[in-house]
Amino acid sequence: MPGAVALSLSVGVRPGTPATRDTSLTRWVLTGIALTFLGVFLVLPLVVVFTEALREGIGVYLGSFQDPDALSAIRLTLIAAGVSVPLNVVFGLCAAWAITKFKFRGRSLLVTLIDLPFAVSPVVAGLIYVLVFGRQGWLGPWLAEHDIKIIFAAPGIVLATVFITFPFVARELIPLMEEQGLEEEQAAMTLGARGWTMFRRVTLPNIRWALLYGVILCNARAMGEFGAVSVVSGHIRGQTNTLPLHVEILYNEYSFAAAFATASLLAILAIITLVLKTAVEYRVRRQMELSARLGDKS
Amino acid sequence: MSIKVRNVSKSFGAFKALDDVSFDIPTGELVALLGPSGSGKTTLLRLIAGLEDLDPGAGSIRYYEEDVAGQPVRKRRVGFVFQHYALFRHMSVFENIAFGLRVLPRAKRPSRKRIRERVHDLLGLVQLEGMAGRYPSQLSGGQRQRVALARALAVEPRVLLLDEPFGALDAKVRTELRHWIRKLHDDLHITSVFVTHDQEEALEVADRVVLMNQGRIEQIGSPADVYHSPQTEFVMNFLGQVNTFRGHAHGRDVEFADISVAASDGVIRHGDVRVFVRPHELEVLPQKNGKPGFPATVLRVNAAGAVARLDLQLPDGGLITAELPQDRFARLSAGTGEKVFVTPHRVHVF
Repeated sequence: MPGAVALSLSVGVRPGTPATRDTSLTRWVLTGIALTFLGVFLVLPLVVVFTEALREGIGVYLGSFQDPDALSAIRLTLIAAGVSVPLNVVFGLCAAWAITKFKFRGRSLLVTLIDLPFAVSPVVAGLIYVLVFGRQGWLGPWLAEHDIKIIFAAPGIVLATVFITFPFVARELIPLMEEQGLEEEQAAMTLGARGWTMFRRVTLPNIRWALLYGVILCNARAMGEFGAVSVVSGHIRGQTNTLPLHVEILYNEYSFAAAFATASLLAILAIITLVLKTAVEYRVRRQMELSARLGDKS
Repeated sequence: MSIKVRNVSKSFGAFKALDDVSFDIPTGELVALLGPSGSGKTTLLRLIAGLEDLDPGAGSIRYYEEDVAGQPVRKRRVGFVFQHYALFRHMSVFENIAFGLRVLPRAKRPSRKRIRERVHDLLGLVQLEGMAGRYPSQLSGGQRQRVALARALAVEPRVLLLDEPFGALDAKVRTELRHWIRKLHDDLHITSVFVTHDQEEALEVADRVVLMNQGRIEQIGSPADVYHSPQTEFVMNFLGQVNTFRGHAHGRDVEFADISVAASDGVIRHGDVRVFVRPHELEVLPQKNGKPGFPATVLRVNAAGAVARLDLQLPDGGLITAELPQDRFARLSAGTGEKVFVTPHRVHVF
């Protein structure tokens, strides 16, 4: 029976063994579930945002950004991000440097504390600031006396944003710097480099992609944060509204077109972030691989 | 540039890495710090470089006569070669080697042209011409090692310090690089210290060997000196193979395995001792020849190599190893299971 022989041979050369290979049905079902899930929960809402935003025409869409309240919200969002990103770059570098290059008491406590903003609800984060800086708070009387307004004003929003975004840069840098170790810095020192030269010419180039990655994530969160900012903002139109808060107000006032138009700005920001993130992620992975390869003992 | 290390101690928490270590390295010598892991040799090297701080008040380190204990590493002008090279991964070979020149203060920094010439001279010295544009990840281990060396030499260091310089290389490259480093040192004559746990490496390359154990120096001397006249049991055991017997000392003589012979150092002792005999210090004869000796049975013969190695069993069951030149082994013509007669011609007692 030559046919049977041919059949059994052709089974033998199929890739993978039957025991470990999923049937094509399983593959299709699993992929289908994943894609449907993504479609319903991610793509569809995104499409809705843009169709709703453009429902009354491109003129109305663009017009909703001319509104002084919208402009003020954009400005405040840019300020919050503009202050918190540089601050957290500095903080992230210092923290990552201290954690990976020095041994000190409380090192693991610091690592845990960096994650605190991830662990705690943003509303709680906002309330903490109200309790400290608010009129009834610890520093309230002193601040009132000196006529400094933090809560229900821009400084409060910036503070809340800084708090919410501070893990991003540090968390990206710590694993990479741990992997890279101390030796290159020590080599630079034996070759006569001062601290700043060493940082600029050896450390920074080695971590630049991870740093950029952290900055992108930090920025996205700074511009999109709602909960903590909502608590400290006071929702004063044209003064203490950020973009996410502005969306909520417009929506509650049934100005759907304007609400969705503003929301589409945030959605565009998210898409840009994703694209940048993917590109930078690739470079970070390469840097990690390179470190692993150079550190290899063989 | 001579280095003087005086009463140096270093602790990491409760662990005493170095305990009151003193020694001198004369100008232009190539010195090996040899010892097992945890003996403090790398710590000592890093202290000399300034990559670790001395315990407060514990000793001094001088380059020539200048006390460098408080000096930061960047001012010491040392060339340090790390075990895993620590090349700057984002810089080309050229940039790596030029780094030490580029970070000099403006007044001392050579011109671009001068830097380029210097780097190319160094690339020639380490036999890596044409590799200037490569990145560390594109080089083999031996090549990275030589780039690290060129980078360290670029700043014209006062001393060259190498941490396990051959440790991360495979056996063949290792031997090549060993000879090459020795030759380089003979050309440059820069005072150099290298750390190794490989006794063969230390004995072959160094002018002088510093043997370390548990944070202390056991012995310092030329390779021949430490090999032939070990002063402690540790050195005896660490440098090459050795047979150990239980014995008893009476004055200058020691009794072991039913014989009595004079110890090599001629010191008077009494009481129980351990007796050490190197495999090549045992003579193996077909029968008794009048010299003090003891009988043994041949267990195994390995005649491959420059010398023949015989595993022997003593009447009391103890196992020893003897090495004899191939011609002597041919004359002996002893096979497995045969009875032979063993005469030590040199025994060590500590």
